[in-house]
Amino acid sequence: MGIEGILEKGFVTTSLDTVINYSRTGSLWPMTFGLACCAVEMMHVSMPRYDLDRFGAGAYRPSPRQSDLMFVAGTLCNKMAPALRKVYDQMAEPRYVISMGSCANGGGYYHYSYSVVRGCDRIIPVDIYVPGCPPTAEALLFAVIQLQRKINRTNTIAR
Amino acid sequence: MSEELKLLGENLKEEFADKVISLENKLGELTLVIDVNDTPGVLKSLRDDPKFHFEQLVDVCGVDYSAYGSDVSEEGSYPANDADNRPFKYRFAAVYHLLSVEHNFRLRVRVFAKDDAMPTLHSVIDVWPSANWFEREAFDLFGIIFLGHPDLRRLLTDYGFVGNPFRKDFPLSGHVEMRYDAEQRRVVYQPVTVEPREVTPRIIREENYSRH
Amino acid sequence: MPEIKNYTMNFGPQHPAAHGVLRLVLELDGEVVERADPHVGLLHRATEKLAEHKTFLQSVPYMDRLDYVSMMCNEHAYVKAVEKLAGIEVPIRAQYIRVMFDEITRILNHLLWLGAAGIDLGAMTMFFYTFREREDLFDVYEAVSGARMHAAYYRPGGVYRDLPDSLPQYEASKIHNAAAVKRLNENRQGSLLDFLEDFCNRFPANVDEYETLLTDNRIWKQRTVGIGVVSPERALALGFTGPMLRGSGVVWDLRKKQPYAVYDRLDFDIPVGTEGDCYDRYLVRVEEMRQSNRIIKQCITWLRNNPGPVITESHKFAPPRREAMKQNMEELIHHFKLFTEGMHVPAGEVYSAVEHPKGEFGIYLVSDGANKPYRMKIRAAGFPHLASLNEMTRGHMLADVVAIIGTQDIVFGEIDR
Repeated sequence: MGIEGILEKGFVTTSLDTVINYSRTGSLWPMTFGLACCAVEMMHVSMPRYDLDRFGAGAYRPSPRQSDLMFVAGTLCNKMAPALRKVYDQMAEPRYVISMGSCANGGGYYHYSYSVVRGCDRIIPVDIYVPGCPPTAEALLFAVIQLQRKINRTNTIAR
Repeated sequence: MSEELKLLGENLKEEFADKVISLENKLGELTLVIDVNDTPGVLKSLRDDPKFHFEQLVDVCGVDYSAYGSDVSEEGSYPANDADNRPFKYRFAAVYHLLSVEHNFRLRVRVFAKDDAMPTLHSVIDVWPSANWFEREAFDLFGIIFLGHPDLRRLLTDYGFVGNPFRKDFPLSGHVEMRYDAEQRRVVYQPVTVEPREVTPRIIREENYSRH
Repeated sequence: MPEIKNYTMNFGPQHPAAHGVLRLVLELDGEVVERADPHVGLLHRATEKLAEHKTFLQSVPYMDRLDYVSMMCNEHAYVKAVEKLAGIEVPIRAQYIRVMFDEITRILNHLLWLGAAGIDLGAMTMFFYTFREREDLFDVYEAVSGARMHAAYYRPGGVYRDLPDSLPQYEASKIHNAAAVKRLNENRQGSLLDFLEDFCNRFPANVDEYETLLTDNRIWKQRTVGIGVVSPERALALGFTGPMLRGSGVVWDLRKKQPYAVYDRLDFDIPVGTEGDCYDRYLVRVEEMRQSNRIIKQCITWLRNNPGPVITESHKFAPPRREAMKQNMEELIHHFKLFTEGMHVPAGEVYSAVEHPKGEFGIYLVSDGANKPYRMKIRAAGFPHLASLNEMTRGHMLADVVAIIGTQDIVFGEIDR
């Protein structure tokens, strides 16, 4: 029995995967990357009414090296794009990106402007897109839950 | 309010008699047009003279009058009017909005730049320090050069941006856009791929179209 | 003798205390700031150029997104400019609604400012407390326009529609049983004005709570007293307006000096500071919240007693009612022209300014008679404030830079536009 046997989908590996996914989804630490108006709704989602902390995602880290989730909240402009890429590159794996708001999704309200990147997915890979202008705090909460479901579907050990 | 404004208008005409190119009083606002070379002197006396005492420069706005009154649009930009169809003689102007806290009135001063290809005006940063960033912005977005400004560099546009975006011949979506290149491992510029579209055409109808 | 160089540091665009996207290049001599060079433009979305390609009505939501913590005040400046240029008469009820929402917006802005300035200087509790009140005001925005933040409620000629008679209610669910929901729904039983009145009755107690936390707090005073002092003459020369100017002792408020809408009929005071430091500006803003509360109460009383139209009758600018549109030819044509081509504003130029929570927010509108603006310049209140950051932070330490950025109430939507 070689290494391939151990990595097959068996009872041990899938349970281990469940535990890994549970720990990843249960403590998604977001990074404060509020760019524009969506940042205000991002602040609202971590506030007492729509508490994001009860889902484990309340510890906003200013440093990308200590976070695993990035909300791109707001319009991404050409001048800011290199900084975004740099910050994304500084995040450690596993890292997830939620593109919040129509400006981050595809340029949004400012799609036709000369200084706006038409969607942050031109710069970084995105896991979940949240529509809205701005998406209500509730919609952002739903996005985090969807991301948790997406993470639960991934297999780390049992491939 | 309007009597004070009329009085201000008369004082202005009296003080700067030969320098005033035009002085209009419309919609409760006074607009003074002066020549480029008179700018520093006139604006300084507008600040210092106790009759006017405009302590605050509220705004410096660059304007490009090349497409004024035209409803021709072309691929996201507005081409300039033909030579015989121009309502304003010069293309670029800076519009200064002044506020007097003591007398509680406002004034608008418009100064045209004589050269359309290389518009130059005098900086008023020595008169009002607030002009600093306003003039930098006008320089960045229109290309109007302000002589005497200590630090005239770009303010709002991207670091290597080419062009003056708010000019009427600059297309709305610009010439370049940005994306990440995986081979070069950095963000790069590429020619713009979005098609310019005009959802609602710009149209000018007769004079009193919206009189109600 | 070793060569002494200043240490140039990047207070990067991604920073928790940068209030958005501010890139500040600081030259430090140890901990003391020698020079601060703000690089802005990281949120430059070319709103003014986009406005030249959009009709006058389509530009209204762009105004919301400028200073995105005080949405309706920006809209107010813009619709005031269009109305002045076109000569539209706004019904009195619409003006009272606008004033009421302007003051609600002022409270929204100052609450976020208080929370953000608090958390920047370490007072994390403030953030949670102030956002709790903001949620109630967001519910008000949502009830009247449908959107929590960017309402697009003001239109040239008035406001979009009248205040609603009922509010959405909480429903019982797995986590809130019926008794808890009944408690939550207590203040939502009546109309929007009842809900607002209940808010106004509770709000002064909340402001007292915030003041208890900060005003006599030793740490807060050490962080803000004597920091960022600006003399009144220098403040005027630098283009300061709003609380930045009033904190330095200059009595200037557009609501009293150049009243617009119905501010001349309302009874309120203007707080003015003495020293010109961050602490005075904090006190000015807190007192402004109390005064805004007073204004809202007066507006609620008036609005309860005076029904009426909320948008101009002129169908050249305001769309006609749907029933009329479906029955009369003229209304149909007006509706069609308004929504395909847009309103035509006569040629001319106008500068209209409002007393925005941050200062004087002005719109300079140049029209050549078309259905789209020719040039729309947005005079943001925070623009000259941030420009003077260099002067204000010279000689202060790095931690004070954060305090000064906080006191200037910078929001990048309006600076970069």
